[in-house]
Amino acid sequence: MKAGLTRREAIAGTAAGIGLAACGRPRLNKPLVSIVKAAGYGEDLSEKVRSILRNHKVAVRGKRIVLKPNLVEFDPSSAINTHPLLVAAAVEAFRSMGAASVEIAEGPGHRRNTLEMAEAAGYFGFIANFEKRFTDLNVDDVSRVKLRSPRSALKSLYLPNTALGADLLVSMPKMKTHHWVGATLSMKNFFGLVPGGVYGWPKNILHWAGIPQCIADLHAAFPRHFAIVDGIVGMEGNGPIQGKPKAVGAIVAGADMVAVDATCCHVMGIDPSRVEYLKLAETGGQTEEANVHQIGEPIRAVRADFELIKQFEHLRLKG
Amino acid sequence: MDLPQTDILPFLLSRQNPDGGWGYNSRVSWTEPTALALLALTARREHTDSFARGSRWLRALRRSDGGWAPEQAVEESTWVTALAVLAGQADGVEWLLRETGRESTLLERVRRRLLGVKWEYGEGTVGWSWYPGTAAWAVPTAITVLALQREIRSGASGAMRKRIEEGREALLARACPDGGWNHGASRALGTDASSYPETTGVVLLALHGMKGAAIDRGIAAAKRHYEQCRAIQGRSWLALALSAHGAKPAPIRMGAVACRDAMDAAMLILAEEAIRENNAFSGVAG
Repeated sequence: MKAGLTRREAIAGTAAGIGLAACGRPRLNKPLVSIVKAAGYGEDLSEKVRSILRNHKVAVRGKRIVLKPNLVEFDPSSAINTHPLLVAAAVEAFRSMGAASVEIAEGPGHRRNTLEMAEAAGYFGFIANFEKRFTDLNVDDVSRVKLRSPRSALKSLYLPNTALGADLLVSMPKMKTHHWVGATLSMKNFFGLVPGGVYGWPKNILHWAGIPQCIADLHAAFPRHFAIVDGIVGMEGNGPIQGKPKAVGAIVAGADMVAVDATCCHVMGIDPSRVEYLKLAETGGQTEEANVHQIGEPIRAVRADFELIKQFEHLRLKG
Repeated sequence: MDLPQTDILPFLLSRQNPDGGWGYNSRVSWTEPTALALLALTARREHTDSFARGSRWLRALRRSDGGWAPEQAVEESTWVTALAVLAGQADGVEWLLRETGRESTLLERVRRRLLGVKWEYGEGTVGWSWYPGTAAWAVPTAITVLALQREIRSGASGAMRKRIEEGREALLARACPDGGWNHGASRALGTDASSYPETTGVVLLALHGMKGAAIDRGIAAAKRHYEQCRAIQGRSWLALALSAHGAKPAPIRMGAVACRDAMDAAMLILAEEAIRENNAFSGVAG
């Protein structure tokens, strides 16, 4: 049993182990994914994040942590961006667990006035010393990175040194539908790592090279990662900008981003095995629920089917 | 960092890197902030050693294909070539005239026709991309139109006039329903999109000298954005655009906006000068 697991999680883990044994798969190969209930942003989110990090035995002490939220545009009536209170909670959790530094970094895809957007979205108000912690990845210094076994038409990408230099890059997306790929979660959130200063606003090179394939390539380019998905309030319908807020009341987290995103899809009522980028990136059948060691709340306790636009109705999870 | 207005030029000069260029937030020099800093120094008639060192840095970044890369580590020429031209590197024009958005290439037009793909905006127009091999968008098209307008002063060529007209047509086709411009997608999946302050400013500036209902709507949108925008670069582009169209914007009050870096300082100087009827971008008609 893993230290720090609750009794319920331990039981769930044991059950999963039995299931695995029955399938003939070794339990240790199953990626761990947490679902933690959070009814609202006013809850003690930092303790929830700490609990997640302990359960996943994340090595934090002495590490340089870079948090990558999803900051796109601001509309006070919508739920486009990762909520700043969850980001603030992650900053506090990583600091309290001995991180050498906790930085926040993002490179929005359409807008150049990143700091003003962050201010409008509440990041300055809710996160202490936000501007000192923050790097606009669109105008960060870059290095050329050769892509290993690329799925897309790209052989290399210029990527920001702040993200490349992180000991742990923490993807903190909003749980949203996406009008091009079905769902945008921890993996798609890495599009924000691609520097506008080189590729522009939008980062159109990724669209021409194949969006699902580029999602898989970026996932592979940053192997030291962890995911904490803001599913407290997500977005359904015509996401990632023009959709409607969708209350789910959950945080989904784990070190295996394919497994985390597949679990989010189950929560959203989306069949992850039909999401192209997840199929491209999966290495151990993570799009199947049985191949993920899910702890915390069961999926059925937080499942909230997201409204899908017509083009993605075929992704609807059966049952 | 809030600075009194009189301190902007020394602030800009203090941000110059030892190699002569200017960076975004670090000591690495990039083409965009360097070109804008040089434009700002030109507008202030500050042809000093600082200007000469900046120009030398920019000149040295010219690539063998005739274009400019965003910074030294990048091995491709991109949209910043237009900024280099605006900052005095006239021989970037040939590279600009060779470039178009990928969607307007013959191969892509044939492919779209065969597949029956329809665009929601800008169908059939020819603009410029941010990065080679990708689609045309609002800002690189607008900046390139401004660069070609500058160069047409020293000798109009038919090719330049044609591309300016095409570029302006592409910009007009991408206007948002609210009259302004965003990154270049006025509709997505049948839903109208809203304009942004900074892009409305850049595009409207590139359309200076034009008249008509679309321009009037653009000016009205720019005025609305100017009232509300707190970002210094956004406000500066809007001030430049409104000045170019003869609508006198109110001075930008320092303290109401935050000046953080060389780009902010350069844009603020350019806006101040435009408000004083010394617009670095709109000296010529298209």
